[in-house]
Amino acid sequence: MTWRDWTARLHLPTLAVALVILAGWAALSWRYGAFVLPSPLSVLYGLGDILRSGEIWRHTGASLARIAVGFGGAVVAAVLLGLLGFVSRLARGVVADGLAVLNSTSVFVWIVISIIWFGLSNWAPIFTTFMITLPVVASNIVEGVASVDRRLIEMGDVYRLSGWRKFRAIVVPSTLPYLVAGMKVGFGLALKVSVVAEIFGVTSGIGYIMNYSREILATQMVFVWALVMILVMTATDKLVFDTVSRRLTRWR
Amino acid sequence: MKLDVAGVGKDYLIPVIDSVSFAAEAGEFLCILGPNGCGKTTLLRIIGGIEPATRGRVMLDGQPIVADARHPRRIGVVFQEDRLLPWLSLRDNVALVLVPLGGTVAARVATAERYLKLVGLTGFEHYYPSRVSGGMRQRAAIARALAIEPELLLMDEPFGALDAQNRRIMQTEVRRIWRETGRTILFVTHSIEEAAAIGTTLVMLSARPSRVRELIVNDDATDRPKLVERLNTMIMEEVERQQGTGPPER
Repeated sequence: MTWRDWTARLHLPTLAVALVILAGWAALSWRYGAFVLPSPLSVLYGLGDILRSGEIWRHTGASLARIAVGFGGAVVAAVLLGLLGFVSRLARGVVADGLAVLNSTSVFVWIVISIIWFGLSNWAPIFTTFMITLPVVASNIVEGVASVDRRLIEMGDVYRLSGWRKFRAIVVPSTLPYLVAGMKVGFGLALKVSVVAEIFGVTSGIGYIMNYSREILATQMVFVWALVMILVMTATDKLVFDTVSRRLTRWR
Repeated sequence: MKLDVAGVGKDYLIPVIDSVSFAAEAGEFLCILGPNGCGKTTLLRIIGGIEPATRGRVMLDGQPIVADARHPRRIGVVFQEDRLLPWLSLRDNVALVLVPLGGTVAARVATAERYLKLVGLTGFEHYYPSRVSGGMRQRAAIARALAIEPELLLMDEPFGALDAQNRRIMQTEVRRIWRETGRTILFVTHSIEEAAAIGTTLVMLSARPSRVRELIVNDDATDRPKLVERLNTMIMEEVERQQGTGPPER
């Protein structure tokens, strides 16, 4: 590999910019004090602390569990809506319109409504996550279903493949990449949204602990948990979604 | 196997096919020729049971072919595009259409490999369609159509997307496969040279709304250059008629 390849692979230019930002961060922190802007080093120590105490797993786990239910439920519902759209063209239109409405509803609307409906419980962030990620995942699937190549279906008809066989061999493989792309975007959104919803009423999760850290004036911990969020997001993106979508589109 | 096309016509907004009749005996290689827009592809789709006819009927061995009905006929179709599933290997693409015919997975795979060999794709069984050339994809589509051992093989300008060199090679190949398998082939083309090179019987369609203008036997005794010249004249006349600049309807 050449020098240029290595530079690209290690994201060297990005790292250089990151170093400059870190230096600027340290300088600003020194100028304005740790309460407003904790130093990079204190954030690093904070990360070490929660790793040692195991607190990181408790809160990250709680957030991920809520996401698993809310986002998982949204994926299941999205697949069902996609099937509905596949079976009937009429239903596809209704589903697409419904999703457009959901898509333009603010996160805050769902947070407030979920608190009214579910009180201060786990179900509030779960419901919010569900309502926000459903339109993202579902509109991808519906688009995928609509983009199934009719000429391939006709080929299936000519060779007298059964409806089930056509579904499995033609519809599912052409829709799966859309589903994975939708899930990738949806998961990122789920993490961002569920954390906001966790500010209200629950006593675990990244959102809760960030807000708690702010209240007890432990500003460096707000930064630490933000960092944890970024790490979780990047890791799932690279390790899970990119791997899955690469596998699914090997044939390209 | 005997194919009988009797008074088949099709209207869309305007009549496209007026009335077309011809018959084909088992083992014939029929080429359907005609000016662009005269409904060649539509005619093939009607014969294949993909589209219903407005008039007339198609009989295979005395049994009517009806669109949308699950007729028990084995008809293989090679489309203008390869229509291979991009996520299946060439072998799995061929094996897939064998599923409705029953048999074990191993038997289907063996049949698929046999037909891929017939079209010269041995060694490429595990390739995805995107990894091989357009000519090879069309070969795989031909293998797929042959694998079901069709009573009738329909080919709709299958080499239209290929370059001149590949086209020539594929014409020779199809001719060889036809001789080796003895299948009845119906081949739609707008290329006169192609029709004269591979068909045993040429069906020349008139301009829209089309009828059969002439049925021409093309065997070893035929003078090819002369035939090509005659076909060219006919096509030019039909094109002019379609554009309304030629001689009036006979």
